Amino acid sequence: MSEMSREDLLEVVRKVWIERDPVPDGLVSRMQAAAAMAGSDLDVELMLLVERSHELAGARGDTTTSYTLRFVHGDTDLLLRIAVDGDESRVDGWIVPPEAMTVRALAADGEPRGTAVVSDKGRFELTGLPTGLMQLRLEPHDPERPAFATPTFEI
Amino acid sequence: MTSIHTRVESGMGMNATGDADDIRRRETARPGEVWGQATAAFNRWVAGDPLGLDELVRVMTPVLWHVVRAYRLDQDVAEDVIQTTWLTMVRKSSSILEPTAVGGWLTTTARREAWRVAGAAQRAVPVEDEELAVHVPNARSAESDAVEKDESSRLWTAVDGLPERCRRLLRIVAFEDRPDYASLATDLDMPIGSIGPTRGRCLAKLRVALMQAMPSGPEGDER
Repeated sequence: MSEMSREDLLEVVRKVWIERDPVPDGLVSRMQAAAAMAGSDLDVELMLLVERSHELAGARGDTTTSYTLRFVHGDTDLLLRIAVDGDESRVDGWIVPPEAMTVRALAADGEPRGTAVVSDKGRFELTGLPTGLMQLRLEPHDPERPAFATPTFEI
Repeated sequence: MTSIHTRVESGMGMNATGDADDIRRRETARPGEVWGQATAAFNRWVAGDPLGLDELVRVMTPVLWHVVRAYRLDQDVAEDVIQTTWLTMVRKSSSILEPTAVGGWLTTTARREAWRVAGAAQRAVPVEDEELAVHVPNARSAESDAVEKDESSRLWTAVDGLPERCRRLLRIVAFEDRPDYASLATDLDMPIGSIGPTRGRCLAKLRVALMQAMPSGPEGDER
């Protein structure tokens, strides 16, 4: 007689508890409502693009192109230096004044392509990003501060 | 495995049944699958689609329910713990750096909160003592009902006969995907090094109990 595997046994445990102590009716929809309400306070505001400057490609004889973007939102300034090398790119960011935040790079399809945490000097970097349309979402670690995002820009 | 939900018929009106059916199907999925769905939903939400949050809550709430109830909390207290978990996630999504870890982040947060509440209230009521409504869907044939009840009550006898620590540990382990041992150890008041061996012993006890409860072996598994 072969023994039941660990997965079989855990499957029995799941089955038993799902039957004996089921999720109460309506719990999922109550939680969806609570989460949505908390989430709606956090509608993401867009930063404003205030400056854009190009650096010429090939100045150092390589294939890298780079340029800078500057966004503002309230008292926060975000400076980005974007470097493209072939079909890969990297973003070096600087937040003024420095603030603890998580920065997510979102591609046009909404897939996250990278996450970084802002240093205490306000710096962060995202490497290995694809080229194409990109948006950065900034989530302050202070829960009182809602997230905000850059408009979509093209790398 | 599919026998529970495939036979649910509309005894309670389409919506309620569809919902319950849906929940049950998601619940019985292996944790790994659920975790993948949670990651996809989280990514949608972070990208600005509010339906992603809806989906994340739908996928993970049943898992949180079972994990939290392992702490012997009343239904309404368990529900509060789960709600706190969701509100924390919404407000502190910035602390979830790796989207593939969102499932583990949620269960760990829920366990910590359950542990805190259970300790603070000093009134954790053993789930076993509560009147647990046996969830038997309406409108099924008497025959399949009897067979299934028999089968499920044998499974229950085996699980219920385990020592309490085993019941709790296995319930958590069964619904989580690779739970973090350090926080489990704190929550269950066990040394971290003993979680793995205890889990092994609990699984062995369950294996024996199942063989005793079902000399012919579990469904489709007799040899």
